[in-house]
Order: sequence, then C-alpha cells, then structure tokens
Amino acid sequence: MSRRRVDFTLNGRPATLEVAPNKSLADALRDDLGLTGTHLGCEHGVCGACTVLLEGEAVRGCLLLAVQAEGAEIVTIEGVSPESGLSPLQEAFRSHHALQCGFCTPGMVLSLQALLERTPGAGEAEIREAISGNLCRCTGYQPIVDAALEIAGSGGGQKR
Amino acid sequence: MIGASPPRVEDARFLRGEGRYVADLRLPGMLEAVVVRSPYGHARLLSIDTAEALALPGIHAVITGADLPPGIARIPCRVPTHGEMSGFLQPVLGREVARYFGEPFAVVIAENRSLAEDAAELIEFDWDPLPALASGEDAEKPDAPRLHEAGNIASRWGFDLGDVDRAKTEAAAVVEETFTSQRHTAMPLETRGLLASYDAARNLLEVFGPTKVPHTNRAILAGMLDMPEGDIRFVEPDVGGSFGARGEFYPEDFLIPWIALRLKRPIRWIEDRLEHFAAINHSREMRFTLTACADAEGRITAFDVKLLADMGAYIRTHGDIVPSHAAAQFPGPYRLRNYRCQAVAALTNKTPTGTLRAPGMFEANFARERAVDRLAAQLGLDPAELRRRNLIRPEELPWNTGTESANRPVIYDSGDFPDVLARALNAFGWDKPRAAQNGPLRRGRGIAVVVEPSAFGPFEAARVEIDVRGRVEVISGCSSQGQGHETVLAQVAAEVLRVPLESIRVRHGDTGLLRYGGGTYASRTAVMSGHAVTAAAETVKAKAIAAAARKLEAPEDSLVLEDGYVRLQDAPEVSLALGEIARLLAPGNPELTPPPPAANAVDQDGLTATSHIRGYPSGTSVFAVHLAEVEVDCETGQIAVKRYLLAADIGRAINPKLVEGQLVGGVAQGLGGALLEELTYDSEAQLQTGTFADYMLPSVAEVPRIETMVIEEARSPSNPLGVKGVGEVGTSGVAAVLGNAVADALGGQTGLNALPLTPERVLAALEETP
Repeated sequence: MSRRRVDFTLNGRPATLEVAPNKSLADALRDDLGLTGTHLGCEHGVCGACTVLLEGEAVRGCLLLAVQAEGAEIVTIEGVSPESGLSPLQEAFRSHHALQCGFCTPGMVLSLQALLERTPGAGEAEIREAISGNLCRCTGYQPIVDAALEIAGSGGGQKR
Repeated sequence: MIGASPPRVEDARFLRGEGRYVADLRLPGMLEAVVVRSPYGHARLLSIDTAEALALPGIHAVITGADLPPGIARIPCRVPTHGEMSGFLQPVLGREVARYFGEPFAVVIAENRSLAEDAAELIEFDWDPLPALASGEDAEKPDAPRLHEAGNIASRWGFDLGDVDRAKTEAAAVVEETFTSQRHTAMPLETRGLLASYDAARNLLEVFGPTKVPHTNRAILAGMLDMPEGDIRFVEPDVGGSFGARGEFYPEDFLIPWIALRLKRPIRWIEDRLEHFAAINHSREMRFTLTACADAEGRITAFDVKLLADMGAYIRTHGDIVPSHAAAQFPGPYRLRNYRCQAVAALTNKTPTGTLRAPGMFEANFARERAVDRLAAQLGLDPAELRRRNLIRPEELPWNTGTESANRPVIYDSGDFPDVLARALNAFGWDKPRAAQNGPLRRGRGIAVVVEPSAFGPFEAARVEIDVRGRVEVISGCSSQGQGHETVLAQVAAEVLRVPLESIRVRHGDTGLLRYGGGTYASRTAVMSGHAVTAAAETVKAKAIAAAARKLEAPEDSLVLEDGYVRLQDAPEVSLALGEIARLLAPGNPELTPPPPAANAVDQDGLTATSHIRGYPSGTSVFAVHLAEVEVDCETGQIAVKRYLLAADIGRAINPKLVEGQLVGGVAQGLGGALLEELTYDSEAQLQTGTFADYMLPSVAEVPRIETMVIEEARSPSNPLGVKGVGEVGTSGVAAVLGNAVADALGGQTGLNALPLTPERVLAALEETP
C-alpha cells in the first residue's frame, strides 16, 4: 500500500509521518514515533486506553486514521507529562491511588485533562461523564473521580 | 514503614506513559505472530492449505500442527486434581478436531502483524462441523457428543461429613434450590502477549511477557522443549492486570518461544481483544443444587450440595481447582458439621477454564448466602440474626472444616467473626428503621458473610542485597500485575533494614535473578513474599550486625541497626553504614576475612541473603461481611447499587491505601460478575460475546462509592508479619449480597438464583413474587 505523508503538531512540536492510509493513529504513534504511552486495550473503540487529545478533545486513537491527523494538534500522555515529575493531575492520581496496573491510566489522565482544561471547576457528574468511555479494571473508578475532584476544586486544571 | 501508605514507586512511570508493557517491547529483526483459531465449537479438520498464505510477500512461516516436534507433550496440569487428567489436556496446536471456538490451529509469522493477519485470511481450512456439547448438563447424556476418548467427565469427588440425612429429617426449615453462576472472565485491560528471542551467543532463550508464575512456566516450557531451565529466562515486563487468568501456561507460551528457536528470529505475539475473549481462561460457570437445613432454634444444621462445573473443552493448568475450592469451602463461616457435596467437572465445547479472582468462592458464596436468606425467611428471623447465631466463634478457631482442596486442608486460622459482623452492622445502620416502599423504585438491602482463603503454595523465595553505597535490592519470586508489589515489598524490607524507601529497588518476575520463585496468585504476595523478604532482610541484618561487631570490636547485643547504620547503642556516634559493611563483606576483602581463606569460602557473598520460606498448607483466611443497599426499578428491572460496605479483618495492613484499593477494586470486579458480564454460547457452541459491545465491563456509571471497614485484629499465625491476603475478598461476596439485596427489594424470596442479575431476571423474579 502506498504511504502517505502526514504533517501535524504532536505534543507542541511539528511532526511528520509516512504511513499507510489504513494505519490507525494509535498504531502510528506507537510504531512509527515510539510513543508507547498510548495503549491499545480493545482496538474497537470501547475501552479508551488509546485516548489522545485532538485539538484539545479526547478522542480514540484506535478509531482515527493517522492520515486524519493532517494539520491537527495531537497531544499524547507524553505531552502532558512535565520534563520530570508529575503534572498536578498526575500527582493527584498518585496521591489518591487512582491507578493500579497503569494500563488505562494514560487514557484516563488525558480524558480528565481535556475536561479540566475546558471546565476547570468541573463537578463530580461532569468528571464521571468525562471518563464514561474509559474502562478501568482495577480501581473501581472512585479514586480516579476523587483525583479529578481535587484538581477541579483547586482550579489546578488550568494549563500548567 | 509497615502500616504507612507512601505513594507507590510504580506510579510515576505509569502516569507519564513510561510503563513498559510487552507490546511496547521490540527487538532488532523481530517478526510478528498471529494465531489462527477454530471458527467452530466442534469440528473435524479435513485439510489445511497454507500455500496461498505463504506466497504473500513478507510472510516468513505458517506453522500448523503438522510442523510440531514429534511427541510434543500436551500442556500439563500444575495442581493436584481429583482425577486423572491426562486424557483431557490441551495440545499446543490442534491437528484433527477443534473442540472450542478459538482453539489454535496455525500460527502465521510475518514482517508485521497486519501482514500476518492478511495471510491468516488466506489459509484454507476444510472443516467438517460436528455436533457440539454446549452445556455441562448435557455432558453425561447418552446421546451427548463425545469430546475426548476419555469421555466428557474429567473428575468426580465429594465429601460426606457428619450426618446430613439426619439433619434433614430433623430440620425445622429446609431450602431446596438450584443456583447458577455464569461463565465470565477476568478481562484485564491489557491483552496477553509474548516476545521471545533466542541468542545463540549466550545460548539463552529469553521470553518477555510471562507473569503470575514465571518460574513454574519456565519449568513447563523447559520440559516441553527438552531444554535445561538455565537456558531459558523469563522476564516479566509491566503487566496490565491478571486477576487470576493471565500468566497461566497457554498454547502461545509454547508456540512463540518454540517458533523463535525454529526461525532464529525474535517473535512477538500480541493478542487482540477479539481473540482474548475466546482464548484466555474463562471461569465461574457452575451449578449448585442445594439443600440447606436449619433447626427451630435457628441453627443451620446441614448443606447438601450437588456441584456441576462446566470446565470447557480441555483441562488446563488449573485442573479442577476452581470447583474444588467451591466444594471445599462451601460451608463458609458457619459452624456446621453436616456437609455433603458431590462434585462433577464436565467438559463442553467452550473455552477451557481457570481461576478468576475469588475462584469458586464468588460462586459458592452466592449459592450459600442466597439459601441462608431463604432459611431466615422460613424461620422468621432477620438475615443478620440468623448469621450471627451460626458464625464460628472465636474460641473455635482454628476451625477445620474437614474438607480439602488440592490436597490442602481447609482451616480458618484466626478471627472473631461475630465481632466483625456486629461492627459492620453497626456501621451500616442495619437496625435503623426502614422507609416504607413506595412506587416502582424499591429499596432493598442485603448481607453476605464470607471466608476468603489466601496465600497458598508450598514456598516463596526472596533475595536481599546491599551494595557498597548502601543501596538495597530486593529480588522477589513473586510477579506483579499492577497491585503495587514494588512498593509493598520495599516497605517490608525497609521495616527490617531501617532504610528509606528511596534506597530500595524491588525486582520481580525474572527467572534470571532468582533460581526459585512461587509467583502471584491466591492473594499470596503480601503474605508469602512479605514473609520471604522479611526473612532475607532479617538475615542480612544479622550479617551486618555480626560484621560490625567484629569491626567495632563490640558485642553484637550492644549494636542496633537504624537509619542505614549499625550503631553502638550507648555511643551512637560509633557507627558503620550498611554500604561500608557491604564493602567489608565483599568477597576478597581481607579486612574481616584475612587470607588465605578456605579454598571455597561458603557464604562469602557480601551483604546479601536468600530466603526460601515454606507456606502454610491451609494458607490464611479473611472473614468479611458484605452489606449493600440497592434500588430496583420494578418497571425496567434495573438495579442501582446505592450503598456498599465491605468489612474485613485482614490481620494487618502493610499499606492501608493499597489494601483499600484491593478491596474496592475487588468489589468493582464482583459487580461486573454479579450484574453485567456473561460469556454466552449458542447451541453450536459459537461464542456470541466477542467484543466490549456485547460483554459489558462495569464503567464509572455502574460502580458506586464503596465503603470499607478494615479491621486489623486477627493476625495470621501463618507468617511473621501477621498479614492476610486482600486481593480477592472484595470480589468474593458481591453476587451473594446483591442477590439478597434485590430479593429484599422485591419483597419475596423467589427467583434470583441465576447470575448475572439482569433486568430480565429481576422482572421474572418480580412476576413470581407472591
């Protein structure tokens, strides 16, 4: 299959891919760009482990084609992580024990990051809605909700 | 450090997306594998033609059963069983007959996964479908399809304790019901995967991706390949959940390493979710035909159980241990001595089965506790009061049920069950007046009392090493699928060695670092690995003090270890850092061991120690009370869990926050099994639930805030820390308590004998309610 060139912004920097037109964005991020923080849990658009931000919105990396990223701004878990240490939201996950195996975690963080940037003072209902498309098999979700509530309560959802 | 909740050392890498799961690993020259599986539940394979697939560019091999080494063994069963299982074991690749949808029949090796998937489509299989056996009930029928030469029944066993018949005759209340638990599975969010690579220079076959029991699985692979165990190294990467199912020895655990050897190329196989549904161990499909008796004083006097377990098409590594646990532990926390059980493990044309969080217990607790509520109704007693009267009393512990599972006696080690019950009821407000039912939304509450066993297995190993800079390395024979063992075992080591957590590294799941290891199952790691790490750290501490005593020319009992230093108790400024002691003890250092030493200086291995601790045959056990309040919509049959309280006496918490995480997460997983998750097959044994669109995991919308009451009083005598396993007790009672709560909401004791508690079943039960 002939490859297509895709130019886009990835984690704030220009990026270029040469990919088959049927390759998913998640596969391209993982295989071609080495960004393995984007996880594949079901590859049919249900589990949310592959969540990335497209123009600030949480989207499924497994359902988007890489070529659809042309000209767009994409942010992955690597892009919301500070140079070292953790972002306030990541720190809140840690202090609330909002992760166990870590597989859903990047998707959860990105879904909530998108919410908290859009609605910095989001309430519990909005937080639950924001992660309604992210499955977690370990935590029972409540610590994740609590982590987001802590950031929403402190107004810390604004861009670092 | 024990009893503290420091943030997990694992978290930063997971939160930053820097976890390294098996699909994140690649090696130069790596090829990718796709497993081609049977599309039939039961069919004869007439022919297989791989020519067209092989002709595709980028395809390196198509492996079928005909390519297997002659005489290759079937996958062995790794636990004691109640019968001879050799006639039911699974081959690594099918050759003539497919016995379940998803059984592996070929492996395609290609430059990448998408090419391999394309080639898989081009393999021509000629199948002749056979009549399928889709239910355990049918397995013994004379006209049932015969699945194996050895038949359709893997094992039968049972117990007949006390005098069940007399108890039945004398009973004031008798409940006779059939309860069923549905087939579902662990469904970790990361699918399985393996990366195998053979390095001729080091004569080493490395396999990345194993988890749960890496040492056991290495031994199995070494046996099947006829290789020395030392030529194989299993390495556990980060693992996205197991819950009992992931990390057993599956067909791929032979196929991928064997193909890597054969092709002399690294081979990676990453399961996709659709094949995961058909390939990973299923669990929980059981039927209990139960008679429960009580006398007029409200004493539960007997359980008489017929247990039928649907094992799927083959017996896998777990043998019949799941129904075995259910049969052995069925009496639960009750002080009854009349117990009969007749258990049958039947084979069907479905995916083979294994353990899933609280294996056998989730199912048995559902059947028993639903029956106990019916006894209470017959006797006109409050369900909590009936339980209170029948709980094993503290002075009766340790309590031997008289049963066994996997050659282990069932003994409850410690606890005060009535006290935990009283505290739980009080916290829940069980005795508070209840609002009158009004309208279609009805409230109900339920109770379930359970004993959850944990910490099985004959041994566990650990090694503690301190380097010349005082850094501590803990190597554990356990594995980790996300529970937080790197944190917990560091806490255990820190407790003994009195060093900060930051100076401790925990490694696990690597057969190259430790010759022996048990692994992580049966909620055993805090107990068994905690014990092993404590033992190794204590030996290191003793070594350090002995060495410091010689160096400082002071008696050992005048020295203490604190803050990473061995100090003179009366003159703390006189001290030796652990790193300095490690230097003194390094092989070849003449300061404490002047040359010439013995030809072979045994134990001159630095400031290190390895422990191999023995397990308690009966493990340890946690008593727990599950209490729940539900709201049932009598028009739609929908169940909303409004309140959930889990009270458990866990002996002692190493890390309270992680304990809470295990308990709450366990309940959430149980909610899925109680209300949502079911793997269904049609009459031809076709799997009908193969995606997350038709197999529903609990989402944030279904899981309420779960309250926990963690009691740390009944220390376990099985280990020096006094801890008990907490991984499964959250899951164990969920179906039981929700079944009882929904029945209470409907105001009767009809129906609700089958899981999951779907809206249809709720409405059917409502219809039957008088």
